Amino acid sequence: MTLASSPVSGKPAATSHWHRRMVSGPGRLFEPLLILAGLLAILFALVYPMVFILVGSFKAQGGLLASATAFTWANYITLFSGGFGRFLVNSLVICVAATALSTLVSVNAAYVFSRFRFRGKGLIFGSVLFGQMFPWIVLVNPLFILLTQAGFTNSYTGMIFCYTAISIPFSVYMLTGYLATVPRELDEAALIDGASRYQVVWRIVFPVLMPGIVSTATYAFMLCWTEYLFALAFLTKPAVQTLPIGLYQLFGDDRADWGAVMAASVITTIPTLLLFLPLQARLSAGLTAGAVK
Amino acid sequence: MRGDRLFITVMLGPALIILALFYLWPMVENLRVSFTDLTLLRLRVGGQWIGLANYEEFLTSPETGRLMMNTFIWLTAISVAVRLLLGLAIALIVNTPLVRHLKLATIARIAILVPWATPPVVAIIIWRWLLEAPDGALNTVLVTLGIIDTPIAFLSDLRTVWPSVIAIVVWNTVPLIALSLLASLQAVPADLYEAAELDGASRSAKFWHITLPFLKPTMVVLGLTSVFWTFNNFVYVWLATGAGPGTFTNVLATEIYIRSFVDFRLGYGAAIGIVMALIMAVFGYFYFRMIGRRQIEEVL
Amino acid sequence: MIWKHVTACLGISLGSAMAALMAGAAVMPGIAQAADPVTLTFRFNDPEQKEMRAALDAFEKANPGIKINLERMAWKDARDQFLREAAVGETPDVVHIAFVWAKEMGEAGALAPLDALIKASPPGKGLGDFIAMDLATGKDGKIYALPWTTDTWAMVYRTDLLDQAGVKGLPATWDELRQVSRDVHAKTGKTGFGFPAGSASSGSLWFLANYNWWSNGKALVVEKDNKFSVGVDKADVAGTMNYFKSYLDDGDTPKSMLGVSDWADPVIIRGLADGSIAIGIMPPASFREAINAYTAANPGKAAPFTSGPVPKGTTVGTSHLGGRMLGISATSKHPQEAWKLVQFLNDASIFTGAYKSQFPAQRSLLQSVDFGPELKGFAEQLTHARTWGPYADGPYAMGSMWNLTGRAFGAALSGQTSVDAAAGDLLTQVGKLNAGR
Repeated sequence: MTLASSPVSGKPAATSHWHRRMVSGPGRLFEPLLILAGLLAILFALVYPMVFILVGSFKAQGGLLASATAFTWANYITLFSGGFGRFLVNSLVICVAATALSTLVSVNAAYVFSRFRFRGKGLIFGSVLFGQMFPWIVLVNPLFILLTQAGFTNSYTGMIFCYTAISIPFSVYMLTGYLATVPRELDEAALIDGASRYQVVWRIVFPVLMPGIVSTATYAFMLCWTEYLFALAFLTKPAVQTLPIGLYQLFGDDRADWGAVMAASVITTIPTLLLFLPLQARLSAGLTAGAVK
Repeated sequence: MRGDRLFITVMLGPALIILALFYLWPMVENLRVSFTDLTLLRLRVGGQWIGLANYEEFLTSPETGRLMMNTFIWLTAISVAVRLLLGLAIALIVNTPLVRHLKLATIARIAILVPWATPPVVAIIIWRWLLEAPDGALNTVLVTLGIIDTPIAFLSDLRTVWPSVIAIVVWNTVPLIALSLLASLQAVPADLYEAAELDGASRSAKFWHITLPFLKPTMVVLGLTSVFWTFNNFVYVWLATGAGPGTFTNVLATEIYIRSFVDFRLGYGAAIGIVMALIMAVFGYFYFRMIGRRQIEEVL
Repeated sequence: MIWKHVTACLGISLGSAMAALMAGAAVMPGIAQAADPVTLTFRFNDPEQKEMRAALDAFEKANPGIKINLERMAWKDARDQFLREAAVGETPDVVHIAFVWAKEMGEAGALAPLDALIKASPPGKGLGDFIAMDLATGKDGKIYALPWTTDTWAMVYRTDLLDQAGVKGLPATWDELRQVSRDVHAKTGKTGFGFPAGSASSGSLWFLANYNWWSNGKALVVEKDNKFSVGVDKADVAGTMNYFKSYLDDGDTPKSMLGVSDWADPVIIRGLADGSIAIGIMPPASFREAINAYTAANPGKAAPFTSGPVPKGTTVGTSHLGGRMLGISATSKHPQEAWKLVQFLNDASIFTGAYKSQFPAQRSLLQSVDFGPELKGFAEQLTHARTWGPYADGPYAMGSMWNLTGRAFGAALSGQTSVDAAAGDLLTQVGKLNAGR
């Protein structure tokens, strides 16, 4: 099955390929060095900015002042005694719920797109995809009015709805791609055995689709976690506000506490990184692999 | 067949209802507003119908040419191209036998995740510090190494401002590309290379005739997806340069923001939004023809 | 193994989704509560959230029937957000606004007229004691907000750098300032006048340009017999542009300042604190931030800072009288209680306790403020500060003028266009605003 094209599968062949190269060419030291130097440069460029901010978050004024270099927890203490923990909890609740909801809804929709033939299907599928292409900034005012009329501003429900909506187009698109790689014979066999359509989706397809679901959900989570525009307009009470808003509020008009900004940046970034670490092998196995048969 | 119809409705219904509420209704509302002179101050009472005046003003404005150029060429085309090339380079390096042999690939993959896990707002804050003149990290390094004599104000010098913005966008978004290409690279069947080696193919020949064709579909998907994520993006330009110096880095999304929330002209902002959506619709049509449809065509 | 992890994750996610939906229903504001103790929402946008909360706790204790929710909106977004909310009637009861927003928000129907409340229970020592009442009063003669705090900008200096450069006394005119900046750079290698020259819509060139015009007896918007017009010509605009451009061209202000739009940008605060910038211009809260940064890094040392008035031109150096007001939203269900809160917030104790970063907008209280030696320049400048007056009264949208001015100056200073072209463009665009509203 193409699904299982894990990073490991290609390895043995490539390694032997490498060994052959090693023995074949004497005096080839230059090339490995070049590769390692390139790798090092890339890793440095990717990671250094985050290290810079991590280190700064443990210094007064974020270490931006040359003379303030002593280690301190003060930034984190300021941050959390100012109620930043609340933002973290809000973000977690809203993003986890929206991710779960959008993935659920998207799996269902993707299944239909991938397995059924019906009138207007191309148009509907195209419209769903078009959701990704619309400039969100013009949605803010109309949506604000809609949510207020429904009583959903300043509520988890309203925000979960928004984030579910922004994640669906991409999720449907990705999952449809993955589903195309799941053989239909699997469904058909189960149907012949007397399973209902719903059972086929939940008992047969869902487990097989898991890698795709994980990738998709991770992406959806990232999208929600970093979203700023809607959260700014729809959440005005600290009890429900999310991390990006909390972070942004640290910039006062007349001053900004740069140490706290750095600490907040670290707090905003770490959870996603922790989430990715155990999944990284799976993630790289195909954020778009499913999209390309 | 009846059962199927019910099944389709139940499965598809929730997604479509959510999307209709979130996109369709505001979009229709937006279309209506774009034909009025609605302002934020008159949001309560509503605007007057002024027909196509907003569109006419936008399309005949002397600024529009630069906005299009900035949005299409700088923000979108160049940044997506750089992203793809750099992503490819990273994937190729991490995938070299040497790196895998030394068990560095996992470390590399984790490092690649770092920029991706960084929210754009945070990424921009960090990069503004790094690019600062005279004593931001980059200037310090360049001056120390003797590459430049005097520090460069990266985000305000006309010669460097676009490359700097693109650097920030690329840093933040290249991981997705690199990881996806890495996955594709690892899926290239090893026997293809072995067969080519038996035929005495050179390394560059193998790259051009085996690796690249194999990666092409993934690159096309990634490229096109990146295009519309970037085209509509407001945060990078707005927070990095505020569309300045002057109006030098103004793009369509920031123009909408300025018109709607600085000038309060919601009607005019809505009209620009509709123009953007139309451009994306044309683009989306080809996107769908090339990729989207392939996913569902088996049963079309 | 990973699948176990993933399945567990998914289980948790679904569980949380359900929990969140339920929690969401519970968080929905206002609706569930009965009217019994009145709950007001107070949107206070400055950073002293903790101190303000403590003051509000005291208010709640003194007024057992009233509960206050405190919320904050970044100043950059506060105006849009309130107008959006006002359109659908979902507003905070008491709202913290800038001086120049009161008129437009009142005339847009977002703020409630306060006349009846003021009449029934006058604030402080009476309305006459409040400054900037002209900005609080709409064209219809109704009062839409109560001035709360005020401040202005003044010049700030690193005295040690001025000494090193051999500068005697603070520069009094724009030309002297130009020379001092040059001298500092020539003798110490540091930045002379570190002004924020960024073009963003909220940028600071707007203030500098206006100060320069005002100090030469001109203004971007002038009023005569209730007719409003643009009061500067192309030569005035180009002259001011060239003046500020020369700092960047000569190098005593680094080009990187073109990317700095905020007066409290870390580049400036840090530059003043670590002595890489000698001269700045800013509100008092930002100046205090620089002093604090210096003392945090150099404990026990006296901070080598002083402040001075805005330079003179043909007439006295003039700055803007800025500040914040408090308004009661038109859709508030509890205007009486909201007024009680507004009065409480104008008590002298607030300005010596919870809210010290700004000065009170009541003349009697302003007189008793101890500015201290470092803020002397601010105290002096306050007497030469003018309100935006005709800018806010006239047909020109303030935010748009601000944006256009910043962009035009940014274009000229960065070399995107020539000074002449930028000056001409600015006048054309501002002229269009008159026709547009």
